[in-house]
Amino acid sequence: MKKINILIFTLVFMFSCSTVPVEEVDSQQATTVDLTSDSDTSSEAASDAMSDVDIGEPYVKIYFDYDQDTLREDALSDLLKVSRLMKDNPKYTLLVEGHADERGTREYNLALSERRAKAVEDFLSASGVSSFNVEVVGYGEEKPVDNGSNESAWSQNRRAELFFIK
Amino acid sequence: MNRLLLILLLSFTASAELVLEITQSAKQPIKIAVLQKDANTAIGEDIINVIRSDLQRTGEFTVLGSSELLSVPNNESEVIQRDWLLLDVDSIIFVEVVQEDLSLNIDYSIFDVSYKQVEERRKVLGIPDSIRQSSHYVSDGIYKHFYGIDGIASTKLMYVTKSSGIYRLIISDSDGFNEQVILKSNKSIISPAWSHDAENIAYVSFENNRAQVFVQNLASGKRDLVLSSRSSVSAPAWSPNNKYLALTSTMDGNSEIYLVEIKNKEITRLTSNLAIDTEPAWSVDGKNIIFTSDRAGSPQIYEMNVRTKLKRRLTVEGTYNARGSFLNKDEIIFVHRNEGDFKIAKLNLRSRDLEILTSTQNDESPCIAPNGNVIMYSTKDGNTSYLAGVNISSKVKFKLPALYGELKEPSWSPFLR
Repeated sequence: MKKINILIFTLVFMFSCSTVPVEEVDSQQATTVDLTSDSDTSSEAASDAMSDVDIGEPYVKIYFDYDQDTLREDALSDLLKVSRLMKDNPKYTLLVEGHADERGTREYNLALSERRAKAVEDFLSASGVSSFNVEVVGYGEEKPVDNGSNESAWSQNRRAELFFIK
Repeated sequence: MNRLLLILLLSFTASAELVLEITQSAKQPIKIAVLQKDANTAIGEDIINVIRSDLQRTGEFTVLGSSELLSVPNNESEVIQRDWLLLDVDSIIFVEVVQEDLSLNIDYSIFDVSYKQVEERRKVLGIPDSIRQSSHYVSDGIYKHFYGIDGIASTKLMYVTKSSGIYRLIISDSDGFNEQVILKSNKSIISPAWSHDAENIAYVSFENNRAQVFVQNLASGKRDLVLSSRSSVSAPAWSPNNKYLALTSTMDGNSEIYLVEIKNKEITRLTSNLAIDTEPAWSVDGKNIIFTSDRAGSPQIYEMNVRTKLKRRLTVEGTYNARGSFLNKDEIIFVHRNEGDFKIAKLNLRSRDLEILTSTQNDESPCIAPNGNVIMYSTKDGNTSYLAGVNISSKVKFKLPALYGELKEPSWSPFLR
């Protein structure tokens, strides 16, 4: 890890007549944490199952309307297919990743994307798929498929991606 | 003496400046000149250039360049008043660098042209390595003399950059110098937050493929995962005494707000509602938390008492109000959607007046300077993200055009004193 010096410096003198009040000097060094290097600088949490699996391409993408987390009718047939596959293959795990378009605040979009993923999980659960086999995660606006700032890009980004982990 | 000069010169060749562009100046900027007193040294010139740049960046001063001056006095007694009245100059700041033992100090005086007298004299103690920071303290003292509130040239900014797929969490001086990379990652970093003593930061990292909150000590780089969970944890907010983090997690099935005591990791649940509850922010006295909730159908700002958990809704205008934070005990700022555009707005909790502060259209992530008077936020023009800002009292607007990659998620340091 590289050590870089920064001095956060806090000494100010106030000058009035002859008395001079002094404030404390504060000096600080900041350290860089580099997670991209091979050395093990990340926390213990790094060794959990979700981070290491290479999940490949999504089996299907489900799209959502602006500000909405309700499933659209056009998603139905895809979701029923997924439900069928899950029930026929009880050893499969399904990973549902929720996403949002860039408009609005980042944290609310994170929550919205999680609700979208959860909406998919709830549908599957209602159709008889066990929740134990479904993992849900939200990425908010952090992983757009299209970086544009127009309706076409936004509609592509408002999605849930479903991955089979066999 | 040569070695000292070398160290001083090195401190000026730090890193690229965050270019700041004033897009709307104050109605009546105060016209001043900043001059060296008596001696004319290279170090003195560097210092007054930092001061001139700091004050010009506020948009509330017009700082005269050397070529505009009609006469150049060496000190207060040499001022030819007529030459300054002709130029409409309000005051002349005389700056003198004084070396005392191992420290390099800056004495400055503020000379009023009309009254032909020194209004204030002050001294900033510095050490050779941090002349820029000492100069920033001078600028802040000058700002306070004229405007009555603390200047922010000596504060730091934290923000996230993304370029070539690499995310960096960076801290820099308010003018962009002395950039330090605090965290480098292949995955997204969001919601960085300074502790109120500026010793630690909290942020959300997606390094393990889901939102997790880490607290990192700036000095040691030591990181601590705040809440170990298979669910998402995000939106960290430090309590005023730095003992707690308010944050959001989906661990109970949907986005709720929790308090985590940092030392013992004890968790207290604050919301219990099927709606999204997120983006907590503390009141100045630590008794209340405002947050975003869509329990009424769309995101709005609510306030809750931390002890009683009683909640009330704050925003009534508009279909989208989120990411609230306190400007002072009576006013909050937040992201407000107005006719499809996202703006930063201010609500006075007493008068209930709503004021839209920005003229850009895709605004998010507002942060507040520690003097409670300047806001910086992230916005987008076409495909480019950049930071912009507004001074609440003077209405000065500025932007920081991105030099490389994208700049997002700004967070302003507390006063570093």
